[in-house]
Amino acid sequence: MGVRSNIISQITTNLSGHTDFSISSELPFVQGGNPLYSTNMNTVYVDEQEIDKETLYVTLDQGNVESTTTTINAYFATDAKEQFSDIETVVSNLLIAGDVISSTVDVQKTYETTIVDDAITYTFEYTFTTI
Amino acid sequence: MAVINVTNGTQAILTLGQTDALALPGATGGMVVPFVQDITVNATPGTVRYSTLDSTSSSAFTTVNENSVSLNLLVDETTMFGDTGNATNTVAAAGLFATSTSKTEVFFSVAVTGTGTAGDISITGKGFIGGLAPTASIDGAVWLSPCEIIVNGELAKTLET
Repeated sequence: MGVRSNIISQITTNLSGHTDFSISSELPFVQGGNPLYSTNMNTVYVDEQEIDKETLYVTLDQGNVESTTTTINAYFATDAKEQFSDIETVVSNLLIAGDVISSTVDVQKTYETTIVDDAITYTFEYTFTTI
Repeated sequence: MAVINVTNGTQAILTLGQTDALALPGATGGMVVPFVQDITVNATPGTVRYSTLDSTSSSAFTTVNENSVSLNLLVDETTMFGDTGNATNTVAAAGLFATSTSKTEVFFSVAVTGTGTAGDISITGKGFIGGLAPTASIDGAVWLSPCEIIVNGELAKTLET
């Protein structure tokens, strides 16, 4: 499985105990001027992965070794006025979902929030570096 | 007159074997060391310096040459630990590690201008493998090792025929 499908699978598992949240396998495309995660509140959307390859070691016989950095974002929006009581656990479970990717030399998992009107949007960024 | 460009992957090739013929560049059965990051041929004459009362600068005379080949490489499992199925080249069969620990003398060539063309230049000799110090880290992700061939005798320039 690819990184995106692995992440979706793990988030599905990690959110199984949180009945107010769900995950979609659709990409967070824009529909009617709004991204799907804004339209469908409390649903996690995982974006397409971006891959950046860099040469780690150069050898004289061109048997070069590359490092691959895969970046993938996930989003969900929820009510900013009355947040769910388990929101911190949900956020924690989404971050932990990044641990499903193995054989990495570096993993970064961050999130940030933005509030527009009465909705708060959580944007997660997972970065995995593999050789 | 032109510099020797090594970026196309066909120059600066180290080949090892238990005979001089087997270690020539392009020789059938020769052990080509892969994943070499850099290679240095050291051809250094030994010198002794001395001073005299009638000179304000020191003088020198040469002694014997001390030659070596040093390189850094990414560790390839077969190259480091041997290919037991290789019945032609005992150095390849044993691998760099066992050849070093057994202090077995090997023949080598460093193809300077590549192989396959008459007139291609290589530097040849024989010596002992040493200086192996494989190291690994999670940041580096692969095993890296320096390697040295302590040359026994003189280096020679060899032209491909």
